[in-house]
Amino acid sequence: MLTRKQKRSNWILVVIMIAASLFFLFPVIWMLANSFKPDAAITKDMNSFAAFVPPALNGSFFDNYVKILTDTSFVRYMLNTLFYAAVLIVLGVIVNGLAGYALAKIKFPFRERWLMIIMLLMIVPMETIITIHFLFIAKLGLLNTVIGYILPMIVNPFNIFLFRQVFVSLPDDVYEAAQLDRCSPIKYFFTMVLPMSKSVVATVSVFTFLNVWNDYLWPSLVFTSGDLLTAQIGLNAITSNDNTTMGQKLAVITLITVPVIIIYSLFSKQIVEGVVSTGSKEG
Amino acid sequence: MSFIELKNVCKKYDKTDKNAVTDFNLAIEEKEFIAFVGPSGCGKSTTLRMIAGFEEISSGELFIAGKKMNEVAPMDRGISMVFQNYALYPHMTVEKNISYGLKNMKVPANEIKKKVDWAVKILGLEEYRHRKPKNLSGGQRQRVALGRAIVKNQKVFLMDEPLSNLDAKLRVSMRNEISKLHRELGSTTIYVTHDQVEAMTMADRIVIMRDGIVQQTGEPMELYEHPCNKFVAGFIGSPQMNFYNVCVERDGIAFSDGKRVKLPDTMMERLRGRQQVIMGIRGEDIKFDGQNLDVYSDTRQRAVIDNTEIMGNENNLYFEFGGISSVARVSKYEVSKIGDSVEFVMMPHKMHFFDPETEEAIG
Repeated sequence: MLTRKQKRSNWILVVIMIAASLFFLFPVIWMLANSFKPDAAITKDMNSFAAFVPPALNGSFFDNYVKILTDTSFVRYMLNTLFYAAVLIVLGVIVNGLAGYALAKIKFPFRERWLMIIMLLMIVPMETIITIHFLFIAKLGLLNTVIGYILPMIVNPFNIFLFRQVFVSLPDDVYEAAQLDRCSPIKYFFTMVLPMSKSVVATVSVFTFLNVWNDYLWPSLVFTSGDLLTAQIGLNAITSNDNTTMGQKLAVITLITVPVIIIYSLFSKQIVEGVVSTGSKEG
Repeated sequence: MSFIELKNVCKKYDKTDKNAVTDFNLAIEEKEFIAFVGPSGCGKSTTLRMIAGFEEISSGELFIAGKKMNEVAPMDRGISMVFQNYALYPHMTVEKNISYGLKNMKVPANEIKKKVDWAVKILGLEEYRHRKPKNLSGGQRQRVALGRAIVKNQKVFLMDEPLSNLDAKLRVSMRNEISKLHRELGSTTIYVTHDQVEAMTMADRIVIMRDGIVQQTGEPMELYEHPCNKFVAGFIGSPQMNFYNVCVERDGIAFSDGKRVKLPDTMMERLRGRQQVIMGIRGEDIKFDGQNLDVYSDTRQRAVIDNTEIMGNENNLYFEFGGISSVARVSKYEVSKIGDSVEFVMMPHKMHFFDPETEEAIG
């Protein structure tokens, strides 16, 4: 039972949190409201509260979006990115998951040192090794190919670490029971380990999706052809084009932001569970 | 050759000086129910895991059905195992948990269905077959684990403290179910427990272990009546046997508090040449009733009851005697209150004597 004082401080907390949320939401609301307006209206409303209010629903309400979706290749870029994300989620879960499983459950020489090395790799920024990736992919003749783009992005030390932390707390006796049930180690990984670790699989999948969706540097180095470009490169191409209006630019930014917000809203519980469970038990 | 044979089996873990299991020898006949019992860390689970193939045998040999199994993978040893924490597959329903092994063994679907139907029926799981383990109680989970073990028709069942996570009442009923299953299936069962009551009530033979070494192997009553050392005598039986350090005198024994008990000549013969021994006597062999007080009047003593435990069917009476807190188990009709001064006798032919140095039984 809460005391009156506790109730009052709870209310104060709620008000502060709503105010803080609105403060951070202002740019998003502004972007969303203006993405439906023609440039003249955006300029006119700029210094008033109307800048945060969408225009009245009329025949030209979606003009900016229709223009972007029909006159540019943005849909294709989005579909490309979704495809890369899907492939990288599947490969990432398998490869990083297997590595995490080995580090958690299989005894091999210098296992702890390997884990240390992988953890050290987490602090190396992508930008410092991207040149090496680029040269390597170029040497293999894989520039401007899907494989060239995907290959260096599959392995992710952070994801390996996440998987390892969750797998280490899986009970060994389930593996032993599965062994007696004639389940091979690989089958055990796919039919037992992954289903038993749904939250970390969801976490890694969401992180991978966001990485791919938001990545600009690596695809801009690998891709030169318009057919393979990702949404972020497309966004840059569209927003830096002088013929694109401000309203259209905001429409394309909205289009690229919405999936991220949807994914976060849908999987926020799993992301928190996945990250929290990685610290639950050390083996 | 026996159905399962362990010959000089040892287990030594890396970076340790001591063996976890030393020189374990045992021959188990087909359809026998064997219990490994002992305190935590005595090596009973390690031995079971060596039989299962989850732990490597450091030295010695293991034979199952005449075939040497040291290097054989667990799945090829012809065993089923029930684990302490059930080890159910949490994302699968009861039915899928039970049928998973059969599917991997490529058993035809109609036969799998028949076996699963049979298992859920005899284990009383029919209404839970589509539930996942998290929606089952501890007892139901343990029954699923049993179901998973029995459908595979293996000849050897290994059970690693399967009832230790259940409450006392459920443990008793599951004990009964496991015993019945063992008889119905005619399998050879090795059952690990730290609970001597489970071992006594279920097993054909018991192996008592301590610090990785087998202390005694035998039928439950053999261990109860004729323990080979003080550890076995103390481990088997509840309440624990009373142990007294006594001096051997010409016609009896003297307790550390100066009290004396006269013993028959045949018993004194066993103690000849010794000055100090440990005398052990079980609670139920200390008698308070008039008839026994007359028959064993040579051992008649007096003590003040300092605690009682009313068990319903019987009572435990605690009293200070021979320098230690002693316990006697009496029938529910023999009511004594705390503070009562009572007379009792110790039945001489039920006394056990142990060497104070080696703690081995004398005679």
